[in-house]
Amino acid sequence: MKEDASFQQDFLIKGGDFTGAGKVSCEIKNLLKELGLSSQVVRRVAIAAYEAEMNVIMYAWEGQVDLLITPQKIRIIVEDRGPGIENVDLAMREGYSTATEEMRELGFGAGMGLPNIKKNSDDFRIISDPDRGTRLEITILTNGQRPE
Amino acid sequence: MMENPLPSLHVSTEKCIGCVHCLTSCPTKAIRIKDGKARIIGELCIDCGECIRFCPHDAIEARTTSFSDLSSFKYKVAIPATVLYGQFDNVTLPSEILFALRRVGFDYVYELSTICELNNAAIEKYLNDHHKPRPLIASTCPVVVRLIQRRYPSLCELIAPIEPPREIAAKILRTTLPRVLKMSPAEIGIIHITPCPAKMVSINRPATMDRSYLSGAISIRDIYGPILQALRQSQEDTIMCHLFPEILFSGMGLGTALSGGETRGLKNHRTVAVSGVRDTIRVLDQVESGLLKDVDLLECMVCPDGCVGGPLAVENRFLAKSRILRLVSLMGERTVINQADMNLLYHEDFLSFHHPVMPVGTPPLDADRARAIQKARKRNKLFKQLPHKDCGACGAPDCRALAEDVVRSTANLADCPFIKKEDP
Repeated sequence: MKEDASFQQDFLIKGGDFTGAGKVSCEIKNLLKELGLSSQVVRRVAIAAYEAEMNVIMYAWEGQVDLLITPQKIRIIVEDRGPGIENVDLAMREGYSTATEEMRELGFGAGMGLPNIKKNSDDFRIISDPDRGTRLEITILTNGQRPE
Repeated sequence: MMENPLPSLHVSTEKCIGCVHCLTSCPTKAIRIKDGKARIIGELCIDCGECIRFCPHDAIEARTTSFSDLSSFKYKVAIPATVLYGQFDNVTLPSEILFALRRVGFDYVYELSTICELNNAAIEKYLNDHHKPRPLIASTCPVVVRLIQRRYPSLCELIAPIEPPREIAAKILRTTLPRVLKMSPAEIGIIHITPCPAKMVSINRPATMDRSYLSGAISIRDIYGPILQALRQSQEDTIMCHLFPEILFSGMGLGTALSGGETRGLKNHRTVAVSGVRDTIRVLDQVESGLLKDVDLLECMVCPDGCVGGPLAVENRFLAKSRILRLVSLMGERTVINQADMNLLYHEDFLSFHHPVMPVGTPPLDADRARAIQKARKRNKLFKQLPHKDCGACGAPDCRALAEDVVRSTANLADCPFIKKEDP
């Protein structure tokens, strides 16, 4: 019965598909709303999922999103095939970005969004293999409070 | 849900033939066809009126105030939306239209463009005084407020807490008229004239105050004929209006009937104006994902091109827009509001919300989270079995909605005509 109370769905993201940007994270968000999760949790997932989705669209060739929802937590694994991140520690630093000020204001390029994902997650792991791709594991607790 | 959420829109069972036009046009999937007639799900309806536009049989009706309701008031005041000025031909001046309204039966007509400017100035002050959060969202379109309460609850705190012009105008009248006329407030009817089906709901169940200052709303559709007749009958009025333009108009405020009208006055802020219900939904989705943080004010109007495209207007919106733009260019950037007056009202909280906009939960798939998750899974499984033609023949707007209705036990999978055929 415990196994039963989980929801799993996969999504594909194409690199460079700017017209479809936000589709996957929006679908995830709407699903969470239907499950009656608090708007705080929905918003955190929406932001983290959107940033992760945009990373794939902007930097990778393609990616797969694996969404798992249980009554306790939401886990999103985003695995992409792409150039990877050479220095993960540097990319995780808040504000570190190769993007211009203008791009940051548009919501893009704020340090590849990684610090933002981490800020909105209860648990966040990242593994990157240069020349092969990046794997993010985002966990947000369904009863979690907003950090900070 | 909670209190009975009676929407403004309802279906005339006599006129409805149970076709699928409204079903597929509804942006919140709030319509189902049951027993050959359209039914509106009150909890999901945001009163945008898209169904009114798409129904070929004129079967969707908006609950607005009727003329006969007016007789219960001893003193009747009209506050017409500035959209009204675009409904008549180019030579008809706004002041003539206001005169005609008096002939139609109102004791007093209150011009709204000045209050639009006042509202705008108050929003500008609020933006100057509060640098966070961003983007703030204007509250003028009641459908946007309802949409945010239901679909974007986390964005409620972004709604700029300044009352829309129609409520500010009514509040001013409520404050002064009983004293001047020596009448009790109940004897004074303050009626908004509007192209919008949602105003009535915002009057009956306001989102930011206990009680609206307005008594009702008459649709432009209903009052257009009488105004036209009054315009034809009164040659002297026309001459008077040309010679003695007694009424003050704000060039700045007139433009608020159009998309971008509210943001036009905010010269020192970054603004975005969106119109149309689907584009509004798209942009609000982006805001929820953390975008548009560099925008100070987001103006969303669910009607195409703004209120001028309201479903209860009469004139086509392109003509109406062109006329209003002409008036705007004639008046220029003429402002009539005294900054000191605005500051005084602002600091007295005369212009602000009584209380913040609160989220209105939409019913989840199940109150129990584990069961809701199971139902979501079952819904996705059912959805895969459906033909994905989104034909509407089952009575739900698309296959996904049918799958959801099945797990909510409000429909059967056999309602799908394609499933039946395969499985006789």
